[in-house]
Amino acid sequence: MSRLSKILAWLFIAFWALTALAPQLIAPGDPLAINPAQAFQAPGSEHVFGTDESGRDIYTRVIHGAGDSLFIGLAATAVGMGLAIVLGTLAAMAPRWLDGIILRVLEALYSIPSLLLALLIIAFTGPGVGPAIIAVGLSTAPGYARLVRSQIRTLKNSEMLEAATVLGRGTWLKIRNHLVPNALKPLLALVTLGIGQAVIWAAALSFLGLGTPPPAPEWGAMLSAGRTYLHLAWWMSLFPGLAIVVVAAGATLIGRALGGKARTI
Amino acid sequence: MGTLGWAVRKIGGALVVLWLVATAIFIGIRLIPGDPAEAIMGGPGSQASAEALAAARAEFGLDQPVPVQYLMFLGKLAQLDFGTSYALKRPVTEVMAEVLPKTITLALLALAAAWLLALLFAALAMRANRFGAWLGSMVEIVAAAVPHFWLGAVLIMVFSSALGWLPAVDNGTGAGLVLPVLTLALPLAGFLTQLMRDSLATAMSSQFALAARARGESRLAVFWRHGLRHASLPALNLTGWAFSSLLSGAVVVEVIFARPGLGRSLLSAVLARDIPMVTGLALFSALVYILVMALTEAVERAIDPAGAAS
Amino acid sequence: MSTESHPSRQEPAPLLTVSNLSVSFGADVAVQDVSFTLSAGRALALVGESGSGKSVTARSLLGLSGGTVTAKTLRICGHDGLALRDREWQGIRGNAVSMILQDALTALDPLRPVGREIGDALKVHGSNSRAERHARVIEILQRVHMPDPELRARQRSTELSGGMRQRALIAQALIGNPQVVIADEATTALDSKLAALVLEQLRELKEQGRAVLMISHDLAQVAHLADEIAVMRRGKIVEHGTAARVLEDPQHEYTRTLLRAVPSGIPRFVPLSASSAHAAPAAAAVNAEDPTLALRAHNLGKSFGSHQAVDSVSFELPRGTTLGIVGESGSGKTTTARIVLGLQKPDSGQVQLLGRDFAPGKESERRELRRAMGAIYQNPLGSFDPRYTAGQLLTDALSEGKSKRADGGYRDGVEQLLEQVELDPALASRNPRELSGGQRQRLAIARALAPKPAVLVLDEPVSALDVSIQATVLDLLDRIQQETGTSYLFISHDLSVIEHMSDRVAVMTRGRIVEQADTAQIFGDPQHEYTKSLLSAMPRLR
Repeated sequence: MSRLSKILAWLFIAFWALTALAPQLIAPGDPLAINPAQAFQAPGSEHVFGTDESGRDIYTRVIHGAGDSLFIGLAATAVGMGLAIVLGTLAAMAPRWLDGIILRVLEALYSIPSLLLALLIIAFTGPGVGPAIIAVGLSTAPGYARLVRSQIRTLKNSEMLEAATVLGRGTWLKIRNHLVPNALKPLLALVTLGIGQAVIWAAALSFLGLGTPPPAPEWGAMLSAGRTYLHLAWWMSLFPGLAIVVVAAGATLIGRALGGKARTI
Repeated sequence: MGTLGWAVRKIGGALVVLWLVATAIFIGIRLIPGDPAEAIMGGPGSQASAEALAAARAEFGLDQPVPVQYLMFLGKLAQLDFGTSYALKRPVTEVMAEVLPKTITLALLALAAAWLLALLFAALAMRANRFGAWLGSMVEIVAAAVPHFWLGAVLIMVFSSALGWLPAVDNGTGAGLVLPVLTLALPLAGFLTQLMRDSLATAMSSQFALAARARGESRLAVFWRHGLRHASLPALNLTGWAFSSLLSGAVVVEVIFARPGLGRSLLSAVLARDIPMVTGLALFSALVYILVMALTEAVERAIDPAGAAS
Repeated sequence: MSTESHPSRQEPAPLLTVSNLSVSFGADVAVQDVSFTLSAGRALALVGESGSGKSVTARSLLGLSGGTVTAKTLRICGHDGLALRDREWQGIRGNAVSMILQDALTALDPLRPVGREIGDALKVHGSNSRAERHARVIEILQRVHMPDPELRARQRSTELSGGMRQRALIAQALIGNPQVVIADEATTALDSKLAALVLEQLRELKEQGRAVLMISHDLAQVAHLADEIAVMRRGKIVEHGTAARVLEDPQHEYTRTLLRAVPSGIPRFVPLSASSAHAAPAAAAVNAEDPTLALRAHNLGKSFGSHQAVDSVSFELPRGTTLGIVGESGSGKTTTARIVLGLQKPDSGQVQLLGRDFAPGKESERRELRRAMGAIYQNPLGSFDPRYTAGQLLTDALSEGKSKRADGGYRDGVEQLLEQVELDPALASRNPRELSGGQRQRLAIARALAPKPAVLVLDEPVSALDVSIQATVLDLLDRIQQETGTSYLFISHDLSVIEHMSDRVAVMTRGRIVEQADTAQIFGDPQHEYTKSLLSAMPRLR
């Protein structure tokens, strides 16, 4: 990563962290304040992103929505990646029969498309923020677990570890000195790529009415509301969606710069 | 490995996967707190009638010990009997036969469109200069990062609301399919282009490409005879995943464009917590995924019988 | 278009006339003022190490250099190469001038049947009938002695054996009936028997009256085929003359370095490079009174499925000596090395290190013994942790994994190791990726020496290196053996390297050792048929 892109990446992360943790610094208004007289205002000097059907300021809502949207995305990534790292590492280190069983289970989970799996989980748990996190986490875990497994496998069979064996290093030293540190960087890349995708999936669930309920300023929920007025107030849909695209594309860029591949997420 | 042995192994693997999915669903039903009969009939809030609950108990053998219930559950699935959707009051198989073709048509069209777009972009990127290549990779990343539910909305805003060229809802004509297909295809094309560009560049700078040029072939001929094959393989390898992501996207797209299909049926089943319907749809999408995977593998075996590229 | 319609002249004009050819890539000048001519029935060898510009020179004769080409003259079979447009180049390529590339595995598209690959050249030059093309493909495959050509034409290159692949590669260069054939490192990285096959084919081409331009880094391999040799270095021809003159009376210092670096026929411990510190050949510093064998392998066997990779292999390695294991790829040498190193569990047999049981065994029990044995691989980079600098790698080795801090208490030890392998101590802060191939291999040797091992297992340690670099690394290994008395198990496909480095030699094929004797015996009076065939294929300078 070049110096400039490092600075840009940190600026990007700092901006969204600030937006999520202290939105009132960037958008001092109240995201829930209703003002029916101001409904459906097009973007202008007074409301840069316009207003929604109840006259709420879209800009304020997009900024204040970052907290919820990013929290669900991060939490879901934590659930998914945590599970993936445990399962993937276990499969990679396990004897062949156990590896085979884990692989089969992962394949079974993988055979149901992510969003369908998330819906399936919500069918059992009922809608809500917590279920959305679990559903997105669980539905992305199988794909990650397979990647983690193949990464650890490659490392485990690498000439580097063979050379360490020949030098007489014990199992613990090999894991501590070579396996873990070398596995971390690609995992970090994978996590970064995963956050972008998780934000999208989480927003998708809210969009379908299964995640954050309205009128909370969550991006997916805002898009869901905007859909009704698509022909009337395009700005209601445009700006929350742009926020998602910026976060997801930014995460992808950073993940790729960290050496992640774009595939199979 | 002979073709027969391969087919036997595939079918065996598919059965194991389907069995695991069914088992997971069974465990899921048992994990719902409260009366399982009530859970199957839409959860505690559904206020199912006493008769309905009794019917569910009989159908799922809920008065039997759990292992017997499990075997009954599997037995019914094995006979392709998914039960009756309590929300729609119709057999699940009947509903699926209605919605599945619609969704699969949509997904296949989107897959084809994504492939075409990706090949086109990858070929264009080959001729691009440094700035063009950078711009191309940015477009790919953004395309891959665009959520379906927003892209669909934007496309409607532009082509339906503003320009009025295309209908926003399916009106039964081909034109009604254009926007849903594009919504699904564009993000996938972004992913596929990234893959194809990498392998195309590797193939075109390889020794065999140089050898072909040294035989007198033009760059275009090398691209057609060699580059395209090598570029397609990794993307083909991902077709199973791609199709599965298209089915995910279809849920959203069917909602936006108000199209009937597997996704919308699943969504309403989930909202109503209609477990028989959910079970059937989940198993069917797993089956579709398995079929697509087997198909791609067969195509791969035809292109690359020696497994040289894997 | 065909060049056969050109009017024949009084005296045969050269097919290639190149004068003051320069090729540059941006500011980088890869080839500078190169001049030569080549006539029908003659062979010219462009010899040089990697980066010398020889391949770029060859490619510019096909209009495929990819850089900016300037020249006073560039005449190719009657065409002016400086004025040709792309379509005209395509008419020449494969038809008047064709090229055989280095690696048959990568030079033939693994996804297409070789028959189609070969036939493509005809399609390009206007032969449209499928049946006619097929007939020509079969005919050309027969001419290069491809066994069962009908079957092979339908197969992909990955399904062919190494020899068949080489034949297919030559066939695709010949089918257009070219007047000039360029062989770009066509024998590099091949077993000596395969290389001999390619050289034999090239000789046939020359005898058919074609002009052959060989590109190679190996003087020994071009010696018997080339009429003229041009030695290239850093984009320039430093010496050019008849083959006999260049080989017997080299004028340029660089030519002499290259010639001296060829190890075949040079006695043990005689330096191959001028820079080597040790002058006098002397035996290794061994305490001869110690009768314990450094390494003993007894009846090793290993199969993968139905494939018997190693079959009843036994050998002994006395202390302070070198045992060379030579064989073609797939002969089981590397599996043997992995068994010896305790990385692969053998199906049968035992390995003893310094008289103690080593393999098969429990890792925890032999860990202590591992200190006594080190390993060097063909590609050292893969065996280094990518996060470590050179200094950290050596610190890790010296501290037995307890530290990787380059400035800690192991600093002097690291410096000593670097000096021992003749590396600048300043390189300690570099990542191995930034080092050259020779430097990397020296670093690998330094790391292996850290625990002061009694035995080093060297698996193709110099196969990826240029000849002159190879010479310095071999000299270094000699010096270390003399100074420390380390025993070497030296594995290579290169007979000349084995001859120079070994006290005893074991010849392996198909998982078995077919002959094992003192080096002089093996190379002077081979007993087994396989050894004889290997030796007859070995290119020799002296």
